[in-house]
Amino acid sequence: MRIILVGWGVVGQGFAQILLRRKMELVKDYGFRPRIVAVVDKEGAIIDPKGLDLEQMLSLKAEKGTISTKSKNGCLGRSALDVMESMEAEALVEVTPTNIKDGEPALSHIKTAFKTGKHVVTTNKGPLALALPALTELADYNNVQLRFSGTVGAGTPVLEFAKKCLVGDSILSIQGILNGTTNYILSEMDEKHISFQEALKDAQKLGYAEANPTMDVDGLDAAAKLVIMANWIMHKKVTLKDVKIKGIRDVTPEDLEDAAAKGSTIKLVGSIEENLKVEPTQISRHDPMAVGGALNAVTFVSEFAGEQTIIGRGAGGLETASAILRDLLDIKENIASKMIA
Amino acid sequence: MKKIVMKFGGTSVATGENIRHVANLIADHAGEDCRVVVVVSALDGVTDQLIQVAEEAKKRKSEYIRDFKQKILARHLSAADEAIEDKQVKEEVEQVLKARVDELEQVLKGIGYVSELTPKTRDTVLSFGEKLSAPIVSGVLKDIGLKSQYLTGGEAGIVTDSNYGEAGLLMNVTKYQVKKKIEPQLKEGAIPVITGFIATTQDGETTTLGRGGSDYTATIMGAALAADEVWIWTDVDGLMTSDPKIVPSAKTISKLAFEEATELTIFGAKAMHPRALEPARNENIPVRIRNVFDPKNPGTLISKNHEVKTKDGVKAVTLVNNVAVITVSGAGMVGAPGTAAKVFDVLGRENINILMISQSVSESNISLVIQRSLLERAVSTLDIHLLGRDFIREVEPEDDVCVVAVLGAGMKGMPGVASRIFTAVAKEGINVRMIAQGSSELNVSFVVKETDGEETVRAIHKEFKLDKK
Repeated sequence: MRIILVGWGVVGQGFAQILLRRKMELVKDYGFRPRIVAVVDKEGAIIDPKGLDLEQMLSLKAEKGTISTKSKNGCLGRSALDVMESMEAEALVEVTPTNIKDGEPALSHIKTAFKTGKHVVTTNKGPLALALPALTELADYNNVQLRFSGTVGAGTPVLEFAKKCLVGDSILSIQGILNGTTNYILSEMDEKHISFQEALKDAQKLGYAEANPTMDVDGLDAAAKLVIMANWIMHKKVTLKDVKIKGIRDVTPEDLEDAAAKGSTIKLVGSIEENLKVEPTQISRHDPMAVGGALNAVTFVSEFAGEQTIIGRGAGGLETASAILRDLLDIKENIASKMIA
Repeated sequence: MKKIVMKFGGTSVATGENIRHVANLIADHAGEDCRVVVVVSALDGVTDQLIQVAEEAKKRKSEYIRDFKQKILARHLSAADEAIEDKQVKEEVEQVLKARVDELEQVLKGIGYVSELTPKTRDTVLSFGEKLSAPIVSGVLKDIGLKSQYLTGGEAGIVTDSNYGEAGLLMNVTKYQVKKKIEPQLKEGAIPVITGFIATTQDGETTTLGRGGSDYTATIMGAALAADEVWIWTDVDGLMTSDPKIVPSAKTISKLAFEEATELTIFGAKAMHPRALEPARNENIPVRIRNVFDPKNPGTLISKNHEVKTKDGVKAVTLVNNVAVITVSGAGMVGAPGTAAKVFDVLGRENINILMISQSVSESNISLVIQRSLLERAVSTLDIHLLGRDFIREVEPEDDVCVVAVLGAGMKGMPGVASRIFTAVAKEGINVRMIAQGSSELNVSFVVKETDGEETVRAIHKEFKLDKK
C-alpha cells in the first residue's frame, strides 16, 4: 500500500518508527507492505514513488530539523495538496496539528484525498469535530474509507471497542475522561492540595501541557473527542457547536476538598446522553473511571452487556501511531475482503 | 484495370515541396490501366497542435485561439502556395482553406463558451487536420493536369458508430456507400483524395477512427473497393528485421504474412497499427509499406500467409523496453484453482494490461510482464488484495528488465528454433529470466536484464543471419 504522510511531528515520526520495527511481521502476519511514497511537512515534501527509506528519513529530521531541504528527493515549498493531486497512492495519513477553529489545513487535505481516490487515516480532531457527518458522506460517495482511531484515547482502542466489540448491542450512553492534561492537573490538585495555576505550571514543565493550554484546560479537546464518539458510535449527527463545554480553570482546591469529604473527586467528564456536555464533575473515588495521572478512561453503558470501562494512555507519539497502523490494516482487510467476495 | 489505394502520412505531406513530390508520385502510377485512390494524413504535427488547442480553448484563451488560427492558416496557405503553380487552382484552394479555418475558429470559440470539451467536439476539432490537407493535395494534382476531387472520410462513404475518439466501423454499410460514391469517380478518371482518420456516424456527425488512424482509412477503402493493393507511403523503407539503432545491419523485410506483420507491429514497429491491417487481411488485399523518399525501393509486402515462404523461420527480432516483471509466489498457489484468475482480476480492475505471462507446472509462482509506468500501482494493488491471503506469500517487482521478441510464421512446427535462440543468448553469457511462447508459435518472447537487451537482440539477429536475407 502506498501512503502519503502529511505531518512529520511526534506522531508522524512515531508511525515511521513502528513501520520500521514491525516491517517483517506486517508482511508475514498481515500481508501488509506499506510504502511511504511522500512525506510532507510545513516546509515542503520529500517523495519517492517506490517508497522512502524511513531510517534515513528519521535521521534526516534529527540532524537537519526539516526533511525537504538538502535531501535528494526533497522539494522545498511543495504543498500537500500538490503532492496528493500529482502522486499515485492508496492512502493519506494525516497527522498535522489539530486546528479546532476551521479544521485547516487538514480539512482540505482530507477532501483532496477523497477526490483523488485515496483512503484517509487521520489523528487530527479538528476536521472531524467540525464536519464529521460531511466527511463520512464524502468518503462514501468517493468510495474510499475514513479512519480516525487515534483521535480518541491515542493508542487505546476506544472507538474500536465500542464499534466492534459491542457490535449488536445498543450503546445507551458514554461517559469519559478524554483529556490527559486536565486529568493530570486535577489529580495533582487533589493529591498535593495546590491551585490550578500551580498544577498547570508543573504540567507545562513536564511537557504534559502546551505553552498555550486553552485546547486542553477549556475542555475543547475533550469536546472534540466527544463529537467524534457521538457521530461514529451513536450515529448522532452533531458537531462541536452542539456540545456544552466548561473547562477546569474555575476548579479550586476547596472544591476538591469538599468532594474528598464525600469520598469523591472532581474530573473533567465528557458525557453523551440526551445532550453532549463536557464539565468538571464529581465522581466516586471507587468509580472505575476515576483514574489518576494523565490516563484516559471511558465508560460505555450498553443495553445488554451493561457497563464497561476502558482505560489507557491518552496521548503519545508511538501510542497514537499504533492506532494509525490498526486503521490501515483495517482498511486493507476491508478492501481485500470486498474483492474476494 | 488495376486499383491502388495510396496513403500518405504526415511527413510525406509536411511541406509544399513534399506535397508536390507526392503528387508526382501519384501521377507516375495513375493512368488508364491503373486507378489511384489517395488517402492523406494531416500535415506533420498538425494533429498534435489541434489536440493542444482544443484543451486550451476549454480555458477560454481567446488570444491563444486567435494566434493559433493565424499560425495554422499561414502554414497551410504557404504549403499551397509552394506546391501549386496555376493561379486559379491556387485561389480555389485558398478559399477552401480560409473557409475551413474560420469554421475551426467557430468550433474553438464554442468550446470556450461552454468550457467543455466532449469527445464528440474533440473529434470535430481533430478532423480539421485532414480537412485542410486534402484540398491542398487535390489542388496540386489538378495543377499537374490530373482530374481530382477531395472528400472527407464521411463524404467518401465511411460510416461508424458514435463511439467518439475511437469509433467502430460499420463495414458493410461503408462498403456499400464507398462503392456508390467512389467508383463513378474512378470511372471518370478522377483521383479521389480522401481525408484519413476521420469518418461520420449515420447522422453525419464527425468521428475519428482512433488507433491506426489514416492507415485504417486506407485499408478500409482498399477493402471496400476491392483494390489490388494498398500502399502505405511513409518515411521508412518498410518493416525491418530489427531496430537499425540497435542492429546497424538490420534489413527491410521484403515479404511478411499478415499474422507476422500484426505481431511485429504490436512489438513496437511503428510503421503501422495492427488494427489498420484488419480490413485488408479480411479481404485478402496485399498491403505494401513504401518509402516516399525512396520510391524505387519496393518496401515490405504484407500478404496472406500461404503466399509467403514459411521456410525462412525467424523473420525479425525486436526489443520492448519500459516494461517490468512482477512475480507472485507462494506455496499455497500450488493446485489452487482460480489463483491466476484472482491475480488477473485484481490487475484488470486497475486497468493494468498484462503483456506477457509465464507459470511453471509447479504452480508455485506466476510471472507477469507489464508496462513499467504501472509497476508501483500493480504491486500496491496486489499487496492490498492478495498478499497474506494464505496462498500468496510474496509479490516481487523487477524493473531492470526488457522483453526480446523473436518472430516469424516459419517457426511453427520447426524443431530447434527455440534451442538456437537460447544457445545464441547463452553464448553471450546472458541469463534468460522468463520465457513465453503461444501455441501459435508465431513468436517467442523472453525477458532479460535491461542492460543485456540490445546485446541479446544482436546475438539473435546474427544467429539467424537476418542481415543476409
